Amino acid sequence: MKHDIGRPLRSHRLLSMAGLLAVMAVIFLADTVTDYAVAAAGFYTAVILVAVRLISARALVVLAGLCIFLTILSFGLTKFGSYQVGLINSCISIVAIAITTYLALKMNAAQAAAQQAQAQLLRIARVTSLGELSTSIAHEVNQPLAAIATSGSACQRWLDQQPPNLDKARQAVGRILDDAHRASAIIARVRGLTQGEQPHKSHFDLNQAALEVIAISRRDIEAHGIAIDLDLDETLPWVMADRIQIQQVIVNLVLNASEAMAANQGKKKEMKIRSVSNTPQTVQFTIIDSGSGFHAGSIAHIFDPFWTTKDTGIGLGLAISRTIIEANGGRIWAEVHPDGGAIFQFSLPVAHAEEKSN
Amino acid sequence: MNANAEAAKPEQAIVYIVDDDSSVRAALEDLLASVGLRSASFGSTMEFLAHKMIDAPGCLVLDIRMPGQSGMDFHRQMSDLGIQLPTIFITGHGDIAMGVQAMKNGAIEFLTKPFRDQDLLDAIQHGIEINRVTRAEQAINTQLQKRWSSLTAGEQQVVQLVVQGLLNKQIAAALNLSEVTVKVRRGAAMRKMEAATLADLVKISEKLKI
Repeated sequence: MKHDIGRPLRSHRLLSMAGLLAVMAVIFLADTVTDYAVAAAGFYTAVILVAVRLISARALVVLAGLCIFLTILSFGLTKFGSYQVGLINSCISIVAIAITTYLALKMNAAQAAAQQAQAQLLRIARVTSLGELSTSIAHEVNQPLAAIATSGSACQRWLDQQPPNLDKARQAVGRILDDAHRASAIIARVRGLTQGEQPHKSHFDLNQAALEVIAISRRDIEAHGIAIDLDLDETLPWVMADRIQIQQVIVNLVLNASEAMAANQGKKKEMKIRSVSNTPQTVQFTIIDSGSGFHAGSIAHIFDPFWTTKDTGIGLGLAISRTIIEANGGRIWAEVHPDGGAIFQFSLPVAHAEEKSN
Repeated sequence: MNANAEAAKPEQAIVYIVDDDSSVRAALEDLLASVGLRSASFGSTMEFLAHKMIDAPGCLVLDIRMPGQSGMDFHRQMSDLGIQLPTIFITGHGDIAMGVQAMKNGAIEFLTKPFRDQDLLDAIQHGIEINRVTRAEQAINTQLQKRWSSLTAGEQQVVQLVVQGLLNKQIAAALNLSEVTVKVRRGAAMRKMEAATLADLVKISEKLKI
């Protein structure tokens, strides 16, 4: 089963525009040869509504101008019927075209804003949560470290005095111990964060879950000029896992793959996404990119926390992904693609019949 | 607030610490105590402002990242608030840009946590020294101002012309007085300003910007 989730291709777009111009010619002819009372020019609005999906705002305004011009031209050329009726009909058509254009542009702008907001949300969820996290971890851990270092210096100075001030030194050591415990509590909190919450497992259709998040990230992926090739096994049994967590992993892998290919020069940018039921107990999900892949030695480390090849990454995405997949009873691994590029795969346990009925 | 003010002599320096982290404050206070410096620490700039300043040379150790007003913002406001303490910034997540900004605003040091104790102590000593000099200059200035205002209006007029290099005769003509009166006023002014020579008086007038 192949899914096509691309935007209309360039050739499709040209074809559609040619069709629209043909329709406009027909409307023009109809408007010109028929009686004034037949307001064929009203159909120009339909052209505008179709065109708004195909062309830019500026081009749409030009098109609307052309429609209005044709309406006036038809009015001048028409020889039958009442002149007054024709004048009123033409005016109504012109107003209708103008209003339709305005509303179509408004609608388009609103849609673009919504899409932008969505893209931003995705970025925020991914980038800020991790980026700001690292800054605040650094600050949080630095405070007790600074206190420990300072108390240590103070302790040394109390001991160096003649005679040594043991009381003060002991107090300083007490503070050092407290702060060390505090630092380790912060580290434990951070570990808890990357390990995430306990999964809330349910049975669900992995294909459906994947399609949902791929649709959300589509804009990001297409912005990089990447083609997506989906090949999802329709007979895939449902899996037993935390649906949202698995979706987070898929988004992470998909965006990683598209970032890996963003720098491709003159190389095909293609992302293959596969699902397959490989054993009776597990299903397997695969994302293959045509990016630069990894170095031989790095495969062993890519799932380690704070290990990254990206300039801007902090190296937590794959570490968190692994924690999530393992907490859901699955396995995640990476391979180097023979043609360059990377293969990321994870497996998840199949939901059993008795679990499904619950 | 916690002040180690036991051994407070009148001119003993004081180090103000503003940091939101109580264990950092405690450690800093103890470090300063171990080298015999007294300190007073506060959890926020608000707390610091609410506290009555001690009349002694000192400096300020200021954390940058704090809930409420940041140390950087507070430092910018300090001169408006009439606080002239030399400032040492300490921060948990400093970058170069932040350090440059801090120094441009007149900080004397910018340290990232965790810092070396000697770096901080050196900066504090330096800060206190700067503040001691500033305070001494201010004290002299205040005293000179006081002496100047003890002069009568007539005496001030005479002094203003004397320091311009005019002779008694010329001053008498300019002010439409007798030369004797000018001499009397000039003598009184010299005595009140505690200036032994004309050169002293010129120097004082420069300081007072008369």
